[in-house]
Amino acid sequence: MVKFTAEELRRIMDLKDNIRNMSVIAHVDHGKSTLTDSLVAAAGIIAQETAGDVRMTDTRADEAERGITIKSTGISLYYEMSDESLSAFKGPRVGNEYLINLIDSPGHVDFSSEVTAALRITDGALVVVDCIEGVCVQTETVLRQALGERIRPVLTVNKMDRCFLELQVDGEEAYQTFQRVIENANVIMATYEDPLLGDVMVYPEKGTVAFSAGLHGWAFTLTNFAKMYASKFGVDESKMMERLWGENFFDPATKKWTAKNTGSPTCKRGFVQFCYEPIKQIINTCMNDQKEKLWPMLKKLGVTMKSDEKELLGKALMKRVMQTWLPASTALLEMMIHHLPSPSKAQRYRVENLYEGPLDDKYAEAIRNCDPEGPLMLYVSKMIPATDKGRFFAFGRVFAGKVSTGSKVRIMGPNYVPGQKKDLYTKSVQRTVIWMGKKQESVEDVPCGNTVALVGLDQFITKNATLTNEKEVEAHPIRAMKFSVSPVVRVAVQCKVASDLPKLVEGLKRLAKSDPMVVCTIEESGEHIIAGAGELHLEICLKDLVDDFMGGAEIIKSDPVVSFRETVLEKSVRTVMSKSPNKHNRLYMEARPLEDGLAEAIDDGRIGPRDDPKVRSKILSEEFGWDKDLAKKIWCFGPETTGPNMVVDMCKGVQYLNEIKDSVVAGFQWASKEGALAEENMRGICFEVCDVVLHADAIHRGGGQVIPTARRVIYASQITAKPRLLEPVYMVEIQAPEQALGGIYGVLNQKRGHVFEEMQRPGTPLYNIKAYLPVIESFGFSGQLRAATSGQAFPQCVFDHWDMMSSDPLEAGSQAATHVSEIRRRKGLKEQMTPLSEFEDKL
Amino acid sequence: MDLASNYEIAHTAQFIHARSFTRVALQFPDDLLKDSTTVVTALQQNLQSLKVGDDDDDDTQVAQLFVMADTTYGSCCVDEVGASHVDADCVVHYGHTCLSPPKSEKNSNLNSNIITSEYHKCSSSFTCLVLYGLEYSHAIHHIKEAVIKLTIGGSKRDSALHYANIIQSVMDPSEDDKAFNGQLESYGSAHGSFDKCKQIGVDVAENRYVRYDPVMNHLVKDMSQQKKILMRRYYLVEKAKDSNIIGILVGTLGVAGYRRMIHQMKELITQAGKKAYTLVMGKPNPAKLANFPECDIFIYVSCAQTALFDSKEFLAPVITPFEATLAFNRGSQWMGSYVLEFQDLIGSFTLEVNGSSEARFSFFKGGYVEDVELQANGVDEEERATTLAEVTQKALQVRDKYSNSIDRGIAESGVEFFSARSYHGLDMQNEDPLPRSFVVGRTGKASGYYEGETNK
Repeated sequence: MVKFTAEELRRIMDLKDNIRNMSVIAHVDHGKSTLTDSLVAAAGIIAQETAGDVRMTDTRADEAERGITIKSTGISLYYEMSDESLSAFKGPRVGNEYLINLIDSPGHVDFSSEVTAALRITDGALVVVDCIEGVCVQTETVLRQALGERIRPVLTVNKMDRCFLELQVDGEEAYQTFQRVIENANVIMATYEDPLLGDVMVYPEKGTVAFSAGLHGWAFTLTNFAKMYASKFGVDESKMMERLWGENFFDPATKKWTAKNTGSPTCKRGFVQFCYEPIKQIINTCMNDQKEKLWPMLKKLGVTMKSDEKELLGKALMKRVMQTWLPASTALLEMMIHHLPSPSKAQRYRVENLYEGPLDDKYAEAIRNCDPEGPLMLYVSKMIPATDKGRFFAFGRVFAGKVSTGSKVRIMGPNYVPGQKKDLYTKSVQRTVIWMGKKQESVEDVPCGNTVALVGLDQFITKNATLTNEKEVEAHPIRAMKFSVSPVVRVAVQCKVASDLPKLVEGLKRLAKSDPMVVCTIEESGEHIIAGAGELHLEICLKDLVDDFMGGAEIIKSDPVVSFRETVLEKSVRTVMSKSPNKHNRLYMEARPLEDGLAEAIDDGRIGPRDDPKVRSKILSEEFGWDKDLAKKIWCFGPETTGPNMVVDMCKGVQYLNEIKDSVVAGFQWASKEGALAEENMRGICFEVCDVVLHADAIHRGGGQVIPTARRVIYASQITAKPRLLEPVYMVEIQAPEQALGGIYGVLNQKRGHVFEEMQRPGTPLYNIKAYLPVIESFGFSGQLRAATSGQAFPQCVFDHWDMMSSDPLEAGSQAATHVSEIRRRKGLKEQMTPLSEFEDKL
Repeated sequence: MDLASNYEIAHTAQFIHARSFTRVALQFPDDLLKDSTTVVTALQQNLQSLKVGDDDDDDTQVAQLFVMADTTYGSCCVDEVGASHVDADCVVHYGHTCLSPPKSEKNSNLNSNIITSEYHKCSSSFTCLVLYGLEYSHAIHHIKEAVIKLTIGGSKRDSALHYANIIQSVMDPSEDDKAFNGQLESYGSAHGSFDKCKQIGVDVAENRYVRYDPVMNHLVKDMSQQKKILMRRYYLVEKAKDSNIIGILVGTLGVAGYRRMIHQMKELITQAGKKAYTLVMGKPNPAKLANFPECDIFIYVSCAQTALFDSKEFLAPVITPFEATLAFNRGSQWMGSYVLEFQDLIGSFTLEVNGSSEARFSFFKGGYVEDVELQANGVDEEERATTLAEVTQKALQVRDKYSNSIDRGIAESGVEFFSARSYHGLDMQNEDPLPRSFVVGRTGKASGYYEGETNK
């Protein structure tokens, strides 16, 4: 039974005040997809009875199999509010019909790029937190990301059924647990003070926190109960809501509210008295099949059951009763409609975050006003594989204007620079589609404020793009997304049969499109590399590649490899010199490590080649103790002109120095990309040009002479400055009961990991462990951990930092030296490092 | 070793005498240069005696001999330009040769040089082709004999052996097609020359083969090294696809069809929406190529045996015309065969203007990349005349926006590259506009002038 049609949906799409775009975000296994199901059930796509078991948004076979979400999935839902429930809603609206564009996102950290993509095209977020496990690392990460995008959050404390059935905690204890969960979430949100977004913290008494049991399909906010009791106590709803949370106690014996527990046995907290206990009672009655007690109670609550439902027993009965009494969809959807912004409201403040161009041009204005008549501004946040193999839907959000079937659009890719023709295409949209879970419906056009899938643009968009009308040549693109994870784990793939190479190339192309994070590149050795955020991510990518994108061709994959970085420990022991091939020019250089935190600042873009030199020198002198004049003498960053290494000019009064600057820079870009140790990128090295002796004739100090020399002298100075390898390190968060701790420590020790934080979650037997683990040791880690703890520990790894390997790579037999020779062998280089004498010359 | 037999003095003298050449150039590779004087003396003596032998006509002189060394390009090619300087009517080429057909029909004689003869044995149950290097040609009849002995002995009945004809650089398998049974599918220039095994590996990558190593005296069966080289070339092709400015290096002035090849490359590059510059610089080395930092990649048009450069030391990689064809011809795919000689390439090459709708996927950026010129083409073709001015202007604007920025972006043409450089050469504005009277320049060599020594 489908309750709504594409036509109905399309009609509401024009009512921008009646739209809510929201994503469901949480830590892995906190019940997002299950909860989403109960919402979808309300919109009528799946039967209410199976809600909680189907996981409508897990559309892939492997998602269903593993029980985790891998790809974020969007669904458009149609929901009609009752007049009564809208009476308290103050914002602008047209009628009672609402359209909710919902995106269910994965919780596993390896797929958090999917979350980023989902957040970009939504305005609100439903943060799901397990009431027992509380706020976990991924909850925090995604919440921070949401706030960074100016997404307004609401919270739901999920898995309430565990309190009642599994743990059987009493009211006061449960309240304390919930209170702590909400507080923890608020602590994170409180750090984001944003005048435009306003107070983003969540309060149960304001209705921005729901309590839900996704599995059983029920949920409530205090509004539900406040409505029930308001008339009874003769106060208005908002007053009642306040009483239902916090330090408000009620004694049925005296019928008085107090701000403190009076100590009398009948005096209980409002929440416990009026919300928790009644639910507990109903559940217990159902579970014990005390039907003769149940029916009168339900009658009192105004819940009517169908006759066939009355035959149910135990858990099934309880589920049914709860779903009828406190349907999850009503509580959650009403919470969203009341407290999450409509596109027209959200875009007013989000435009600053979104639009790259000037904020007073007509495009910014159209986004700000969510103007359907304005110029088209559409952001494609991800590509979704279509049913016909090899093609993709471009999935995104219309921020202004309308996108319609057949219209011609300008596609601005991630490297587009306004005014240039780079990364710019004009193509026509073949079809506009709206997403309804497992099926898609074609519509004529989609106006701003909605999510949309477009057909026919996939051959020009890799991962994301900004679309606008063909004529809008002045438009700037919408800002690119920032991901919280980076692709640090790599695997090389080859086809089994050489003639399958075209298939592999095509497959990699499709893979690159299908995932916002995966990077498909090629190595110097000619191997194709797939880079992903973690082992699981890679596994999924490879599976997709083989099963879906390669047309049956077989591949051989290497073991996962990790890329290293090369750095230096100290300043060069001496100033090294190299002569140009014609021996007429000499370059003198020294290498030294960059100050702590400087490489990270360059990574973050706080310091970069495009800065105003004054600002840059201010940061460098104030935060990193650089000499003010020196900070102005940075020649360049590298590799790729933006990397975390630099060349600084320390020369005084050298003739023709300006002439060779470009050549030295070119040599540096080259050398910093392929360090002297193992041709890995350099990181955190500052090269100081100490002196330069040049030939008097310009022809003898041309690029041909200086570029190779600069490269050699850079290598020489790197080798003389105690070169070291940097390895990538994960931050691992593990949640496990106390008895599993021993196993966890054992596995971590074995893998060179070290724990830096161990904390018991208040009110639970669970421990929270944070540790650093080298990425290279992380392969197979989660499997071993599961084995060592009999499945009780589940790690979440996210790349954290580069860590220096203390051993000396120049000393044969050391661990770093082993790594170096391994990398060199893989790259097909000479196994022996080129000796210093090849790079340094004697006077 | 006997010099006379190694250099086939008598045979050569006979050859020169019979055709009554008057000016003969002897081209030596660098490693044989030490023998040149002896060879010349011996030849002269031989010629003299030949002349004395049949002196019926007195006005024929003894041929003049010229020694050519230090060739501009690979010493395997006939240096026609050098030969024409001395107006030679015959070139005798010593040492290793690539047998590339020369541009103009001059008489060239080929000699093989000193390598100890060894049996190059190849017997197995399937059909087999023996490829051998020029330097082993004198040993080939020994092998034939040995193999015949083996087969007569009855050990292997069904093995069929074929010998390559080495005087041609390209072998034609057509006559033996059936016998080869698909085991050898592609030949390129196939000289089993020991030090040039690189080429072989590339040429017959699809086939099984063993290589006999005369120095180590054993058979080499492991071809993983060859595969690695091939993969590396594949990487360079991918890299070429991403480049904007391409330098065409003229690596030969002798091999037939080189001009057509260069022309074809230019056409191809323009078609692909990239910029091409043609450079003539003799044998490329890192220092020479680094003088053109604006080039993202170089195409080396040369004879087959000097074509493959392992360009690790080079700022920009060097590829062959075949690889360029793969890279710049949208939609062409590497099917595993490899063509080194551009005679083959010219024939097979078709300029496909395929209006494929898909953007190009770059494995360096991990996403779609469209070549700039390709997009600009058609939209505003008329801006050609003012391109330079506009590009410079654009570059200036960008620089203005981020004042003193040290980020320079990617150049799409030489002009743009230079305008983005921090040093633009001497500032003409500040100089005195009036012409100055001439001054005496410095004398001496670059390492130290007699006057005006500021450095050193």
